[in-house]
Amino acid sequence: MDYIGKYPNDSGKFGEFGGMFAPEILMPALNELSKAYNKYILDETFQKEFTQILRNYSGRPTPLYYAARLSNDLGCKVYLKREDLNHGGAHKINNVIGQALLAKKMGKTKLVAETGAGQHGFATAIAGAYFGMKTKVFMGEIDIKRQAYNVYRMQLLGAEVIPVKLGSKTLKDAVNEGLRYWISHLNDTHYLMGSVVGPHPYPLLVREFQRVIGKELKQQILELEGKLPNAIIACIGGGSNAIGAFYDFINDDGVQLIGVEAAGEGKDTNKHSIALGLGRRGVLHGSLMYLLQNEYGNILETHSVSAGLDYPGVGPEHCFLKEIDRLRVGEATDTETLEAFKRLSLLEGIIPALESSHALAYLEKIKDEFSKDDIVVVNLSGSGSKDLDIIKNHVEFKIK
Amino acid sequence: MNKKEKNRILELFNGKQGPKEKKFMPFLVAGDPNIEEFKRLVLAIEPHVDILEIGIPFSDPIADGPTIQEANVRAFNAGINTKLALDAIKEIRTQIKKPIVILTYYNILIQGADTIETSLDKTFKNLKESGVDGIVIGDLPIEEADLTLKVCEKYNIYLIFLIAPSTTEDRLTKILKEAKGFIYLISLMGVTGARDTVAQITKDTIKRIKRKTNEILPVLVGFGISQPEHAKTIVEAGADGVIIGSAIVNIIKANLNDYSKMETEMVEFVSRIKDAIKR
Repeated sequence: MDYIGKYPNDSGKFGEFGGMFAPEILMPALNELSKAYNKYILDETFQKEFTQILRNYSGRPTPLYYAARLSNDLGCKVYLKREDLNHGGAHKINNVIGQALLAKKMGKTKLVAETGAGQHGFATAIAGAYFGMKTKVFMGEIDIKRQAYNVYRMQLLGAEVIPVKLGSKTLKDAVNEGLRYWISHLNDTHYLMGSVVGPHPYPLLVREFQRVIGKELKQQILELEGKLPNAIIACIGGGSNAIGAFYDFINDDGVQLIGVEAAGEGKDTNKHSIALGLGRRGVLHGSLMYLLQNEYGNILETHSVSAGLDYPGVGPEHCFLKEIDRLRVGEATDTETLEAFKRLSLLEGIIPALESSHALAYLEKIKDEFSKDDIVVVNLSGSGSKDLDIIKNHVEFKIK
Repeated sequence: MNKKEKNRILELFNGKQGPKEKKFMPFLVAGDPNIEEFKRLVLAIEPHVDILEIGIPFSDPIADGPTIQEANVRAFNAGINTKLALDAIKEIRTQIKKPIVILTYYNILIQGADTIETSLDKTFKNLKESGVDGIVIGDLPIEEADLTLKVCEKYNIYLIFLIAPSTTEDRLTKILKEAKGFIYLISLMGVTGARDTVAQITKDTIKRIKRKTNEILPVLVGFGISQPEHAKTIVEAGADGVIIGSAIVNIIKANLNDYSKMETEMVEFVSRIKDAIKR
């Protein structure tokens, strides 16, 4: 398939998905961002600076680790791309460093971001401290309660966490409030979008900053195995870790790309976040994508044990990749995810993020499709240390 | 489609009242505080206004401040949906002749059929049947408006474009090429919501935009206007009229337990605005 470099087009479209469905007031700011992106993305000094920060500060390249015991258990060769070993404990750092560096070049002095679980807010707070930029993070009131520890981490780094009390009081409403704040502070503030969602150019620039995952992965697997993997599996909320891992393999037809959504309490309940699998086309937060919505186009509340996947839409490029049959879509329930979480912890001594555990859970579900010499890479997008408050409600130990 | 049929917005600005008289367009959210009371409020204020702007609620209105967001929530809690909102407008239309403009977000309009094009067609057919003359879409910039312009043309509904202080000259030119009815000028760099003063940027923007739109389209100014003196300042700066939303919705919020007081206060408020821009 000849795909890389062709999408999005100049208007930010991936087929019919994506675009710039933004209030008039934001348009000049989005165009300014596109211009800056086009200027710097191919600029050698910018790229060098970006790469160096990721290496010296975040610890890239992250290892591609052969999980021997898990492989033995599942009956195929499983590699884990260890994004959890990044500074901050997740792939989110790639994007925030890239965007904050770009914002700095644009002369912006402040950052504003939304966060669900707190992972992107935490990453933005890191970038804010690193570059000396004042940072505000909008977070739903409900998420603030269930992620108290992450709120505290952001505050330690000097970020101001602002509770969102309207709507469902979770991620989607934090995006709304963050954008509203940006509308009133365009001059000195960069809106640091956390995933491959939002109006153009966000899905493009977040992808480009996350591509480092797939580029490293390709080089590493070729060194270790001398061939490309049979499949790459990643969880999809907005889809930034997935697009980062997948993108440089899209032209390689032999590599299955599998995105895993959060099935929450089950596909048949209304408590899930299966936007690619069950959503319809719609426009939210500036972009045309698959959305969980009612018959009138009002957005539904979603559910997942992992706050990072608790979003009613999914990045426009994933929608397009599904449409052209390049992306396979699966899902895992909360229960399946917790089992996978426990298994990896016990077998490999790695505590995965609940988000990433969805990818592990789906591999378990489809393991029979692979033979023992097949290579499957799971993008371990984050560490589970942020999730311990939630895990404790599900997994208990007694001290004798 | 009867091609000779005139759009009521065009008739208003070209009609006997003349383009000279300043216009007032108040905004209410359909179904706020409930469907019946909403209809009564619209009919009560109608004699004192020039155009009615009615919001079709959307769950995620990113260009709106807390006042309008809360109005949407009240309307949803009272059971509103797009169909019921259009039914209410249709009923209102049987009793009034003034132009009706709706404000909503794009996702509300692209529902109901298999493709976006067929959905838009179906929605705009419904809008036409409900007696809607114009539409403001909070998240549809000119860059994404092709399909909507086509369907607006088909049903003789005016697509009203928003212009902000940040709108650049080249985009302004592009917008003016397609805009119909009037320009909705956003008076400040922010979301909707009542403010205490009229900012200098508002007056400057009115002058800048009027220079460009003169002879092409009237300019109505909205966002942040909450008092008769504001309205007066705005028209004195050269605007052809004012749009007031949050300050009106605040009257609903303040009188939720007394509908007759709600109506009296709202009628009094809109009369004062209309008086202020007459002079």
